[in-house]
Amino acid sequence: MGFWEAFLNWLRSLFFKQEMELSLIGLQNAGKTSLVNVIATGGFSEDMIPTVGFNMRKVTKGNVTIKLWDLGGQPRFRSMWERYCRAVSAIVCMFKFFWLCRYVVDAADRENMAIAKGELHDLLSKPSLTGIPLLVIGNKIDKPEAFPKQSFTEVMGLKTITDREVACFMISCKNSTNIDSVIDWLVKHSKKKN
Amino acid sequence: MPRSLVGGDLAGPEMAQPYMKKDDDDEEVEYSPFFGIEKGAVLQEARAFHDPQLDVRRCSQVITKLLYLLNQGETLTKVEATGVFFAVTKLFQSSDAGLRRLVYLMIKELSPSSDEVIIVTSSLMKDMNSKTDMYRANAIRVLCRIIDGTLLTQIERYLKQAIVDKNPVVASAALVSGIHLAQANPEIVKRWSNEVQEAVQSRAPLVQFHGLALLHQIRQNDRLAVSKLVSSLTRGSVRSPLAQCLLIRYTSQVMRESSINTQNGDRPFFDFLESSLRHKSEMVIIEAARKITEMDVTSRELAPAITVLQSYLSSSKPVLRFAAVRTLNKVAMTRPLAVTNCNVDLESLMADQNRSIATLAITTLLKTGNESSVDRLMKQITNFMSDIADEFKIVVVEAIRSLCLKFPLKYRSMLNFLSNSLREEGGFEYKKAIVDSIVTLISEIPDAKEIGLLHLCEFIEDCEFTYLSSQILHFLGNEGPMTSDPSRYIRYIYNRLILENATVRASAVSTLAKFGALVDTLKPRIFVLLRRCLFDTEDEVRDRATLYLQTLGGEVSIGNNEKNAKDFLFGSFDVPLANLEASLRTYEPSEEPFDISLVSREVRSLPLQEKKAPGKKPPASAAAPAPVSAVDAYQKMLSSIPEFSGFGRLFKSSEPVELTEAETEYAVNVVKHIYDSYVVLQYNCTNTIEEQLLEDVTVCVDASDAEEFSEICSKPLASLPYNSTGQIFVALEKPELVPAIGKFLNLLKFTVKEVDTSTGEADEDGVEDEYQLEDFEIVSADYMLRVAVSNFRNAWENMDPESERVDEYGLGVRESLAEAVSAVINILGMQPCEGTEVVPRNARSHTCLLSGVFIGDVKVLVRLSFGLSGPNEVAMKLSVRSDDPEVSDKIHEIVASG
Repeated sequence: MGFWEAFLNWLRSLFFKQEMELSLIGLQNAGKTSLVNVIATGGFSEDMIPTVGFNMRKVTKGNVTIKLWDLGGQPRFRSMWERYCRAVSAIVCMFKFFWLCRYVVDAADRENMAIAKGELHDLLSKPSLTGIPLLVIGNKIDKPEAFPKQSFTEVMGLKTITDREVACFMISCKNSTNIDSVIDWLVKHSKKKN
Repeated sequence: MPRSLVGGDLAGPEMAQPYMKKDDDDEEVEYSPFFGIEKGAVLQEARAFHDPQLDVRRCSQVITKLLYLLNQGETLTKVEATGVFFAVTKLFQSSDAGLRRLVYLMIKELSPSSDEVIIVTSSLMKDMNSKTDMYRANAIRVLCRIIDGTLLTQIERYLKQAIVDKNPVVASAALVSGIHLAQANPEIVKRWSNEVQEAVQSRAPLVQFHGLALLHQIRQNDRLAVSKLVSSLTRGSVRSPLAQCLLIRYTSQVMRESSINTQNGDRPFFDFLESSLRHKSEMVIIEAARKITEMDVTSRELAPAITVLQSYLSSSKPVLRFAAVRTLNKVAMTRPLAVTNCNVDLESLMADQNRSIATLAITTLLKTGNESSVDRLMKQITNFMSDIADEFKIVVVEAIRSLCLKFPLKYRSMLNFLSNSLREEGGFEYKKAIVDSIVTLISEIPDAKEIGLLHLCEFIEDCEFTYLSSQILHFLGNEGPMTSDPSRYIRYIYNRLILENATVRASAVSTLAKFGALVDTLKPRIFVLLRRCLFDTEDEVRDRATLYLQTLGGEVSIGNNEKNAKDFLFGSFDVPLANLEASLRTYEPSEEPFDISLVSREVRSLPLQEKKAPGKKPPASAAAPAPVSAVDAYQKMLSSIPEFSGFGRLFKSSEPVELTEAETEYAVNVVKHIYDSYVVLQYNCTNTIEEQLLEDVTVCVDASDAEEFSEICSKPLASLPYNSTGQIFVALEKPELVPAIGKFLNLLKFTVKEVDTSTGEADEDGVEDEYQLEDFEIVSADYMLRVAVSNFRNAWENMDPESERVDEYGLGVRESLAEAVSAVINILGMQPCEGTEVVPRNARSHTCLLSGVFIGDVKVLVRLSFGLSGPNEVAMKLSVRSDDPEVSDKIHEIVASG
């Protein structure tokens, strides 16, 4: 068994040379673990328990093997994000913000926005992470009160990030909206193995 | 970096090479694969954990090296440990079972701080539900190490499942984790009772063992439940030998706690222990035999256990021989007669290859031996001594010392044995043990004095240890002048002056001076010798000689100042050395000279010293005095409180008396501190309610039943948070040196504030509340210090016979003689001497010797003679001697009123 598996792995590595490592960060309840599940199995579940620590998942998409570090979003884990972002192919940063009604931001979310922006920019300022591409994802657009992409980019201050490649997608894990474009972007950024 | 790594790899074998060559003669030696591992290099290698393409084999090797280093006592700095920990967590990406197992070990071994280690929680929870049994078992073990109460409730159902898992490794892991978790979260683990009970019925031996341990832990505070557990299991559903051993322990515990009603009638538990003696596993048999011997059983009940142990004495397995002889050794301490049957087997064990077994066999024999067999034993030991290590020789020497004290008539052969041993090769500790033993024998057995001293003198003729020579010379100075022919020792002493180093010469000068002071006929000759010492090369020796020539008065005024001189030479140094050392340490050089009279003379509870034996080491057989350190700690604490600093010396602190039941809201106990004219009550309160903060805690003492006491002040406790212990003090005044007694009612008063357990903040407003505590009494025993004397007979003879008071008492119908003896000991609160508190089974009469110090530092010795008349009717004769006849009367009053 072990031998066959090793042999197959070797064969696979001959033909599918691409592989990448991703870190998935963002405040709690943004839908990080859901995204991993959607990418890996296509399934979506409404009730999830908060991730305590991290989940490690390996996903094969086409000829790319993606190693996903799905990190917990609670405040006590945020200081440890950096350790799992070093030397990854891309950092994926996930958020969700809602309007309370048109043009009025929910008070709690207003606070969250400031925190989210702060955490993201703090992380990117770490010297160990310079040049790593960033993918920002706005989740839960299935809800009518979700932020449009325009305001989202503005709120997160994405325009000010100039030292690396930045992309932004609006998705819904629940309805699998735009998941394909996310995967396409990721696959494009997978490193060629030497 | 890769290059340096390669270099590091090669360094190991290369470095090992030269060593290989050096050890040509024994090429068999295998070098550890861990040879030459060095922390810095391994930390470098740990970077492999970050490689995008993991090399599983290499990572496993690096973790193995790290684990090796940590187990060798190497420590990582905080930064290093954090780095390694996070790197190791990255290895969760590999699904290699071997590597995962090492990762678990590494996480446990590093035990990072709780805010970091939480990062692996999710991964472990995933592994806990994995399909691989090995993952499940190990993940459970690690998870339980790092988890807190709130997360535990989340995973509780998985743990419950794991307990009844069909894989024994998983079930065992969950049970062991339960045992650990029960310490911090007992209420959660208690909810698993049903599953644990199922585990106890498991077919897998290890699961049954761990299940039983956890079940007992869950129920340990409920005596009835433990008793039920034991009685249901003793009916025979336990298959695992380890579980059976545990069950035997629990059974004997249950029996101990309910000892009184099992004396007669049917005894299912004891029958279980006895049947375990016929179990097929040796481990169980030994355990059962041990527990039976530890219990208070009749000789007939003891016999089967001894027989079993005896059969193991000739077992081919060393561990069984050791276990058996060790148990028998313990039995021999209390019931030597029961072991005499094994003497033949024990004697053959004296030649055992394993020296631990041989030594235990010998010491057991020495305890069981009777007077007639001593000579034969001594002969055998002599053959045996030459080929055992020093540490065992010391055990033998000590056993012989206590044997000699038991059979004083045999002193001659014992002393010969000891002096022969002195002449043989041996290290300092061994020689010191022998010298100490001889000194003890000389002090205890007057007939042995002259022979013993001559043996010692012979020893110092050829002694390589300065310390021992000085000790013997000092002892000789005190004892020698009182012998029939003091002049015979002078030659030995003077030889030291010629042959030895400066320290010994100085001691010899002092010894000579002591002879000169006490033996007038020798005085002129000793002066001649001392004057020769004035030309010694060492100034200490010259100084001493000059000093002694002056104090002894020279030839000018013989007989002058004689008393002063004797006081100077023999007077005891009345400042405790520990106090003197402390004062000298704090003394700063200044104009003012150091004044020895300012050093505190407060005597700590030292054993009484007989006048005959100054500087004698108390024999090991004497019971230890009251724990000195505890008394010191109390004294220090109390004198630091300004209100109590003027109370003088602390005479005695009692053991804590519980004033609440176990597991109530507030746990309170009281320690009674006795001063000459005050009593300080120290209430130790523990708040066991998480939702409460107590403030202004006071104790209201109602002393209306204790007329001689009046409360003078109290020191309340400002605040008492959850899970902390605080002290409240109440000081009472009483007539000076009077052993006043009385009963006290106590009421705990306080202000309760609600605490929000999530934030830890207390409410602003509190409610006043009170809590009824149990009563306690100050009894006469509180005024008595338990102080041992090592030789009761000598101490008794040295007391003034005028102070003796004798009376007889009828104690009425008692449970047994032993019960009556321990009741009287408890009433008096005195220290039993020479093991006389143990009453031989079926004895019709018994004599018990007690000693103590009564308040006012009055030494008291008591001789109790008990006799049985009629069915369990106990009569007692009480003789008391003390420094103060009034105290003797007082003791009788205490017994009469008790």
